[in-house]
Amino acid sequence: MHIDAPTLERSIAIVGGIIVAIVSAIALKNDWHSTGADNNVFKLMLALLCIGAIVAILAGANVLGNFPKAA
Amino acid sequence: MAVATMPHGAADEHGGVDQLYADTRSLRLQGFLLFLISDCVLFSSFIFAYLYMRSSGQGWPPPGISRLDVAFASLNSVILFGSGATMHYALEYWKENKFNRYAFFMIATIVLGAMFLGGQAYEYTNLIVRDHVTWSGSGIFGASFFTLTGMHGFHVSVGVLYLTILLLQSVHGVYTKDKYFGLTAGTLYWHFVDVIWVALFSIFYLI
Repeated sequence: MHIDAPTLERSIAIVGGIIVAIVSAIALKNDWHSTGADNNVFKLMLALLCIGAIVAILAGANVLGNFPKAA
Repeated sequence: MAVATMPHGAADEHGGVDQLYADTRSLRLQGFLLFLISDCVLFSSFIFAYLYMRSSGQGWPPPGISRLDVAFASLNSVILFGSGATMHYALEYWKENKFNRYAFFMIATIVLGAMFLGGQAYEYTNLIVRDHVTWSGSGIFGASFFTLTGMHGFHVSVGVLYLTILLLQSVHGVYTKDKYFGLTAGTLYWHFVDVIWVALFSIFYLI
């Protein structure tokens, strides 16, 4: 079975993205009740990291950035 | 000022965190957050300039330039986002006094950061050699893409160097369980670099 490079890249991006999204969501949940300016910034950053991972999953799955080929 | 003349790194008589560190930690944090905010303003100005120029043009990318490789960029993005997660856990393990796990996650972060830079170099090579897209010869598209991603790549390079220095410092006992602001600042910086890439990835590859 032949898998071309873009398909392999997309597959790894989806699997990796799911792992990163879950790990960052767990870290965010664990830090949720922590206080202090640095911890609050960490919470914001982790939430954005989780969103970024979801965006990467959607891009890998061709849901986002799926533009028609130029004629 | 009495605080400024205290010897650096001296512990108080109770063996706790030294007073200078305790007195200045919040100031250091505020200063570092201001630095990140200023960096955020820098990126924002370039991003809004890019979006403005893009929206006032005729189609995007301009004729003769193909779309960027979303598949490879997704993979490279996941590598960078993964490094954000490993960096977060490195700091958590430092707080829990688990040095081996801290070192493992710190090294993983540095390796993933270097992999991202390698991926970016590969992408640049493909764009320049295969697609003939250059900084100065491809109009607004080339200029804005290479300026913004190059500026981000420079930040990642500095971050990789910064984290390597932090790792070496922690190996040599510069930080303790109670006194580790450098590691907190390194984690903040690395998360910032990750989050900026979320914006850049979205505007260059997905819209």
